[in-house]
Amino acid sequence: MVLEIRNVSKNFGGIHALKDVSFQIQEGEIYGLIGPNGAGKTTMFNLITNIFEPTSGQIVFNDSNITGLKSYKITEQGICRTYQNIRLFSQMSALKNVMVGGHCRSTSGVFSSVFRTKKQKREEKALTEKAEELLDLVGLLEHKDALAENLAYGQQRRLEIARAMASNPKLLLLDEPAAGMNEKETDSLYDLIKLIQSKGITVLIIEHDMPLVMKLCDRITVLNFGEKLAEGTPYEIQNNEAVIEAYLGREEDVDIA
Amino acid sequence: MLADFINPYHLQIASFILINILLAISVYVPLSSGQLSLGSAGFMGVGAYTSALLTIHFDLPIFVGILIGASVAGCLGIIIGIPSLRLSGVYLAIATLGLGEVIRVIFVNWESLTKGSIGLTGIPQMGRELLNLARDFGIQPAMFGLRNNQFVYLMVFVILFILVTATIWFVFRQQNSRVGRSFSSIQMDEKAAESMGINITYFKVLSFSQGAFLAGLAGALFAHVMGYISPSDFSYHRAVEILIFTVFGGSEVIIGSIFGAIFLTLIPEVLRFVSEYRYIIYGIMLVILMAVRPQGILDIQLLSKFKRLKRSKGGVR
Repeated sequence: MVLEIRNVSKNFGGIHALKDVSFQIQEGEIYGLIGPNGAGKTTMFNLITNIFEPTSGQIVFNDSNITGLKSYKITEQGICRTYQNIRLFSQMSALKNVMVGGHCRSTSGVFSSVFRTKKQKREEKALTEKAEELLDLVGLLEHKDALAENLAYGQQRRLEIARAMASNPKLLLLDEPAAGMNEKETDSLYDLIKLIQSKGITVLIIEHDMPLVMKLCDRITVLNFGEKLAEGTPYEIQNNEAVIEAYLGREEDVDIA
Repeated sequence: MLADFINPYHLQIASFILINILLAISVYVPLSSGQLSLGSAGFMGVGAYTSALLTIHFDLPIFVGILIGASVAGCLGIIIGIPSLRLSGVYLAIATLGLGEVIRVIFVNWESLTKGSIGLTGIPQMGRELLNLARDFGIQPAMFGLRNNQFVYLMVFVILFILVTATIWFVFRQQNSRVGRSFSSIQMDEKAAESMGINITYFKVLSFSQGAFLAGLAGALFAHVMGYISPSDFSYHRAVEILIFTVFGGSEVIIGSIFGAIFLTLIPEVLRFVSEYRYIIYGIMLVILMAVRPQGILDIQLLSKFKRLKRSKGGVR
């Protein structure tokens, strides 16, 4: 088991963003987190990466409790994420963005950086090569010197994935990677995520593009108003009464609308 | 021969330019990790007073005093930097400006140690010490055809030049490395930087205290060049002046700070012939610049344009 969410709740003031949610992710699978807007999906990501601390409950990663650990330590442990609203380092080149992703897998400090020790040079070379390899993986190698802000929208989403990959994660969290993408881009995103899975990385994905989610995920958890509504394979989820109700509304509601 | 070219007045202005470059970089470095610090004047004062008092009362060699002065300022930077982590943008600017004032008020009121607002006199001067040192080795200014005061100003200039070059080299190298990438990623998006595994606390305090160290270094050098310091040398006006160097020249790139310090130190001197109007002209220039080019004279776009121009010329050849 890679990640275990144990009875996690999060309150913002009087609002219950998440209520007693639990699920487990097995190694190597692609796990989907879906639900209507405001269901608490991104909040769950923010709890896993400890941007917020959960009000109650535990988050266990590879058998160690990471609840309350500093964000950067969690990245060191092997969880890295992308953002729903892209958060690249906009004034940096694509290559440098990915190199920043490799920060926690490198060690050079002020002294070795200024005096360019042998170890620092070797490390910098390895970082650059790794970054180029990842840019190639997401199909952005030819744009490596372009500033992140000058890339097209779909390219920025891919660059964010490459940056997260640079930290050698065991678990990759993708927050709506297909948002705003056209069909062709979504198809190549599907291939990319499958490729990432084949490298032995577990993926937790939030996505609204249902055809993509159903095609991609091994298992899915559905959240609604902060509560877990259902869990299962894509087939089970598609035929779950409660899920259909949450997404489409009940018959009576349709009449009123 | 050489003596005809060396004008002590010009050398002194050049020395002030070099000290101002250090001060401009002391604002630039924290800014490169997104921290707008106006505490440079305060840290400068700490460096200046520490080194001056140590050399006056304990007869320490000047360079030891300068090193200790800069280090004390750097340590104070760490102490101030940690609680300041909660602040950003203008709030940090106001807090550090306040810090500078507190330091100045301490200098004014701790009369038994600092002689209050009269200031410290009789600080060992770097130039004169170097002259004595040279004489100990049997080197006389006359051997180069120089008068004593020409030799003194020249030596001060050379020492400062070496120090400033080393500092620029240091900052430049640091910037193009893992540490520099961390600084700029924090500046661009702190939350994203942290989720990429960067220890925000460490790198922010690091850049803040580096800035404090550099300001302290500049202050200590200032004390030993002038031979006289008073609290008014490190007032609010100085803090603003230093900030303007960086903002005017362009705060995105280190070369901007350097350019700003050189240009804005020279302008009042060049405009001496219109004596009473010169600060009006200085002020008008700042207003126009901020209206036309708020990012400062030099920025990344302009520099990459220069680079491309150079490259295309090389291609023709």
